Amino acid sequence: MPISRQLLRPVSNSFILFTFVLSLSINLLPWQAGLIGFAPDFVALFIIYWTLNQPRRIGVGWAFFLGLLMDVADGNILGQHALAYTVIAYLTLARQRQLAVFPFWQQAFVALGLMLAGQALMLLLRTAMGSPFPGWAYFAGSFVAAFIWPPLSNILLSHQRRPTTDEL
Amino acid sequence: MQASQPAFFKQGPKPLTRFFLFSVLSICLIVGDANYQMLGPVRQQLSILLYPLQWLVTAPFELLRDTSTFLSRQAELLGENRKLHDAQLLASVNAMKLKALEDENARLRHLSSAQASQPSQLTEILYNGRDPFTARLIVDRGERANVAEGQIVVDASGVVGQVIRVQPMTSEVRLISDRNHMVPVQIERNQLRTVIYGMGRGLPLEVRNTSSNSDIKVGDTLITSGIDGLYPAGLPVAKVTKIERNTGNAFARIYCTPLAGIEQHRFLLILEANPALTPYPANASDAVAKQKKGR
Repeated sequence: MPISRQLLRPVSNSFILFTFVLSLSINLLPWQAGLIGFAPDFVALFIIYWTLNQPRRIGVGWAFFLGLLMDVADGNILGQHALAYTVIAYLTLARQRQLAVFPFWQQAFVALGLMLAGQALMLLLRTAMGSPFPGWAYFAGSFVAAFIWPPLSNILLSHQRRPTTDEL
Repeated sequence: MQASQPAFFKQGPKPLTRFFLFSVLSICLIVGDANYQMLGPVRQQLSILLYPLQWLVTAPFELLRDTSTFLSRQAELLGENRKLHDAQLLASVNAMKLKALEDENARLRHLSSAQASQPSQLTEILYNGRDPFTARLIVDRGERANVAEGQIVVDASGVVGQVIRVQPMTSEVRLISDRNHMVPVQIERNQLRTVIYGMGRGLPLEVRNTSSNSDIKVGDTLITSGIDGLYPAGLPVAKVTKIERNTGNAFARIYCTPLAGIEQHRFLLILEANPALTPYPANASDAVAKQKKGR
């Protein structure tokens, strides 16, 4: 969250859980295959968002678990997404204090880099296991994800920006 | 040095430690899953966790479709009903002929055990696999409906694929177009046996290792030969669309398109598993080796 004058309200655990369930469902939508890679990986996007904004609650362990779920949902090698998400979450955490104060458009570039790194890792893994190269459109989702980063962050922060009551 | 620092916030292990822990864990999982296939139970437990989400995501679309079907006009239905009735009449006549032929065939082959037409079950596609590296489908029948690994999936016009992984309520179907998926086939016209390979999602199928002078023509239909004991014989698989015969290559490059609409349907048929064949003698090669040694 970029520096602002407003004090933010705390995020509830259930809200974080809800966003992850939502992102998993979006990733499971049946039209995903028709978009051939243009659909952004929402689970990765939310992992980056929450590790950036709530580093003390969401970290490498969550990323690993969500990656496992994605692997089972996609029916690919168990551990592929888990490894990629673990790396993404760690890289975010390593520079979290610096990244957290960037404006949204700069964070979007960082998110792009992180998601591309994750995808490159998965590509490397699958190619090493003998799968064919799926085409450059495979990376398109990350660019879409970077594009929606600023509006997404604003929407998620609006939940925390609600004014406190005057009685306090 | 770490220990002397006051712990203002209890954080557990450092991110780097966690990172190493979980990445080593995931690499172990990858190796365990890809090389030894020993993580089936883990996968099953996680899939149960995912099933409500899968249902939640697919249910609204189904409801929409069902509603639109419900509202389709009466006249349309009547017309369609009549057409179907005619088709059914025609089909029953054909079926009678087929029955006679089947009986004759059975007599000819002296089949002792009745090889009746195979029972099968209908299944609906839940979603297309999201993984861009493979050609897979997730369908809504699993272990609960007695689906087993290795069963063959077909549609009205041909072979679609094979069940490769079964979870309690869903199962994964590997399409015949998946890379290096093999189906033993023969050409309908002249019974030439060969094997057809998938090349990847959206790509044509290929018949490899067939010499340039073999008798294959564009337009030939390939049907399953049944010699692997997995695919029942006689199911249509693909049609030859293009043949390249280069003098530089020992083999012709033969491209085919699948006959089944493998990217189109909603409903598929899972065929019942073949009755187990007599097992391949495990020590046949040993016996031969011993014989040779004995000499």
